[in-house]
Amino acid sequence: MIRKLTYSFFCIFLVLLLVSCKKQEVTLNIGFSGPMTGDSANYGKLMSQAVQIAIDERNELGGIGGQIKLRMIAEDDEGKVDKANLAIEKLINVDHIVGLVGAVFSSCSLAIAPKCEQAQVVMISPSSTHKLLTSLGKYIFRNVLSDESQAKVFAKYVKEKLGYSKIAILNLKNDYSQGLADDFKTQFESDGGKIIAMESGLQGDKDFKTQLTKLWAKQPEAIFIPGYVNEMAQILQQAKDMGIKTHWLAADGFSNPEIFDLAGDLANGVIFSNSPDESSLGNAKKKEFEAKYLKRFKQKPDSFSLNSYDAANILMDAMQFVYNEASPDDQRSANLNPAKIRNYVADLEDYQGVSGKITFLSNRDVLKNVGIFQADHKEFVQQGIYLIKDGQLLEVVE
Amino acid sequence: MISLVLLIGIYFGIYALLALGQNLITGMTGLLSLCQAAFMAIGAYTTAIILTSHHPLPLAELIVIVVFMGSLFGAMIGLPTLRLKGDYLAIASLGFGEIVKNVLLNADKFTGGPMGITHIPSVQLGRILISPYDKSVYLIFVWGFVGVILWGLFRLQRSRFGRALEAIREDEVAASSLGLNTTLYKVVAFMIGAAISALAGMLWAIYNGSVIPQSFDFMLSIMVLCMVVLGGLGNYFAALVGTMVIVIISELPRLLGFSVLIPAQLDQILFGLILVILMIYRPEGLLGRPVSKRNS
Amino acid sequence: MLQHLLNGFTVGSIYALVALGYTLVYGVLKFINFAHGDVLMIGTYIALIVFNFLRTFIEPSIAFIIAILAGIASSALLAVLIERVAYRPLRHAPRLAPLLSAIGLSVILSNTASLIFGTKSQRFEMPFNNTPIHWGNLVVTPYQGLILLTSLTMMVLLHFFIKMTRTGKAMRAVSEKPMVAQLMGIDTDRIIRFTFILGSALGAVAGILVSLDYKVYPTLGSLIGLKAFIAAVIGGIGNISGAMLGGILLGVLETYGVAVLGIPVGYKDSVAFVLLIIILLWRPSGILGSNKREKI
Repeated sequence: MIRKLTYSFFCIFLVLLLVSCKKQEVTLNIGFSGPMTGDSANYGKLMSQAVQIAIDERNELGGIGGQIKLRMIAEDDEGKVDKANLAIEKLINVDHIVGLVGAVFSSCSLAIAPKCEQAQVVMISPSSTHKLLTSLGKYIFRNVLSDESQAKVFAKYVKEKLGYSKIAILNLKNDYSQGLADDFKTQFESDGGKIIAMESGLQGDKDFKTQLTKLWAKQPEAIFIPGYVNEMAQILQQAKDMGIKTHWLAADGFSNPEIFDLAGDLANGVIFSNSPDESSLGNAKKKEFEAKYLKRFKQKPDSFSLNSYDAANILMDAMQFVYNEASPDDQRSANLNPAKIRNYVADLEDYQGVSGKITFLSNRDVLKNVGIFQADHKEFVQQGIYLIKDGQLLEVVE
Repeated sequence: MISLVLLIGIYFGIYALLALGQNLITGMTGLLSLCQAAFMAIGAYTTAIILTSHHPLPLAELIVIVVFMGSLFGAMIGLPTLRLKGDYLAIASLGFGEIVKNVLLNADKFTGGPMGITHIPSVQLGRILISPYDKSVYLIFVWGFVGVILWGLFRLQRSRFGRALEAIREDEVAASSLGLNTTLYKVVAFMIGAAISALAGMLWAIYNGSVIPQSFDFMLSIMVLCMVVLGGLGNYFAALVGTMVIVIISELPRLLGFSVLIPAQLDQILFGLILVILMIYRPEGLLGRPVSKRNS
Repeated sequence: MLQHLLNGFTVGSIYALVALGYTLVYGVLKFINFAHGDVLMIGTYIALIVFNFLRTFIEPSIAFIIAILAGIASSALLAVLIERVAYRPLRHAPRLAPLLSAIGLSVILSNTASLIFGTKSQRFEMPFNNTPIHWGNLVVTPYQGLILLTSLTMMVLLHFFIKMTRTGKAMRAVSEKPMVAQLMGIDTDRIIRFTFILGSALGAVAGILVSLDYKVYPTLGSLIGLKAFIAAVIGGIGNISGAMLGGILLGVLETYGVAVLGIPVGYKDSVAFVLLIIILLWRPSGILGSNKREKI
């Protein structure tokens, strides 16, 4: 029995080896690294699907230069640092990716960024908001608003436009939520507002009643809950059960349409910051993408998926641009100069993507305006688009 | 491809250290402990805090501090819990592991809380720079540790101390009636196991360049236990084999390049399936001695 | 004060229901059924699917009851299957082999669920109006009432079942001395199978109750599982009243620790583990565990 088993394993192994060694046509590969299994699997799945759509669209148009097809190689990092290292190693050295969309979590992005930098692979993270990420190398970009830039605009908006001056914060103990909370606090207090109480919970917690009781006792005008939909839905529900009536503020984590399934009508009225809906052109593009996504995957994309779609498209634009300039030999073998790809991305200005207008700053962070939204009956309604210029909050009027 | 294999070799080495520590505690001394991840976290955070604040520090000093911290925590956890038996010890030590993780997450001032500690610099061994960018050097560095520790453990096994541990595993009451201070021996074994895991944590932190609390959850401890049991308890060589099997089956899809062809969940299912099948056909572990059926 | 007690009781009775599943199996087989959480997760999913399908045709409350039955049935069926395939061949294997087999199964089940049901978490609509009822200062939601009522009923029923019926007696006999029980003409295989059915049925009910307030997702089981397991150990694993006591104690103290003693919320999970360790140091086999000496 054991021998049979060993043989059959060996045979499977051989077959797989043969399959994997099959000579493949020349393709340009774009990597994706994110959690596809485990607790946060849904984030990775939503985002990788967006990248897949972007790549399929380009392939329908003939690929790069009308010749070379593109392929997405998605690796599961389980949201863990060690697995992310293995994933990036494979993507770089086995699949020879030209660009990377990812990683999803800041911890993983921080770990793999030096490897991308060393291998000269342009990495655009659609969701890692850790302040320090883009400082890790010339090839490391992100097209999600960093915690800092988002929280700054939002804090000013809350202070000046909504007119609140006593805010309580309930954040989660993870890098995303804590980063937002800290940066919001700094900005809000420097503008003369007061954070009267700060409490935290753990990601995956189900019970926030204790924290809510404490916060509510301080009589805040509004409560800021940067976090993810699962926890935010719990918070809203429990606050309602406890009879807390206040204004709720949130950040881009709230933009996942799943919130309406989880929190129902309680989501109405929550004001949050996110990538903006800009210009009629961008809006049409976004609507089209969302419709396509919904049709193909029976799910609505979240804001990180929009970023992923844009990141993949920016990478492919860069490849196309470099391809056009390359020598015929290099064109045939799909040999694209990584430094040129990187420069194209770095020089990008006012790219109209589905997540808004994208310009990369000299520190490779994205310059994006911030949209302020309010949830209203299964829709996120944009209240305005803002940016900070010379320390002043300005509304962008189109 | 070579680079990926080298990296797997590095992780194999790091996990091998954890498995060796676990084998000393569980296989040799018969204590079912489940907090290798916590000891690893202690080593990793010690390394991260020291290297980010006192760089440059000679490697030898770093190793001494990491080993000291590891054994200190081993003693702290070991002393109260070692009077527990079997599964109770397992759960108590698992609890300690979770407390360590919880503290790392909440002691923002020292550990960076959920943000962790980033930008951990590389270390210098003599004139050679041990950096994650040069994988072959790092691989040799890691396996150097494995080699030295393996040698040490073999020496230990054949010493008076090693025989005492074996006596405790086989029959604690008989051992103590022969005049062995069983508590002392058990605590020391626990401390050595913890120190080895702390070293694994140090290697892990330097390689990854950053540490966060979530990396050290109890599933890691459980995986380490799986490695040791799968290889065959009470045999250092078997612990290495078990580690290799676990590392290879979890990385097989990536190595063969079919991780993109099938959903990621299937990889995991395959992993679970192999684990179950191996246990059904080799319950005593791949290299374990077949156990005579006990009368219950 | 009373409010916290009530909240704690609600959380605790869920822990207790799941803990019973661990403790029943531990009682007869002396091993930690690591896959228990995942079995109940599958049951919850099935219940959700049945409920969502039926409620378009019939009264939601009737649909809910049918859904619970379907969840219980599927969990029980799965548990029986697992017992037959992955645990029975290991009944006389070394102590850690079934644990590894269970870990493998847990990986298989949670990933299969995420493959089949999707990674997106789904909401279990409450089949009743959940407007809180105010009694003076006390706020009770009908949902909390449902949890307390269901779990108390089930625990009382289980208690009488174990104490009064023939099968219950047989279960206790198998748990005490399997060999002797078999010699006395008890079909141990049947009793073990029945134990699995009972444990997973209770688990499925707990899973459904939890997800009413939260949501259904593939790793649901492992999160409830750990806490419930600790509850089982606190009470004395293998002891049925112990599991109930442990679960409720854990739930109440967790709530109190944060709300009354003012422990920072970040350390909430540590409460469970510190409690666990203190209790184990005080009574090494749990509060109600039989503290018999190991044979000499």
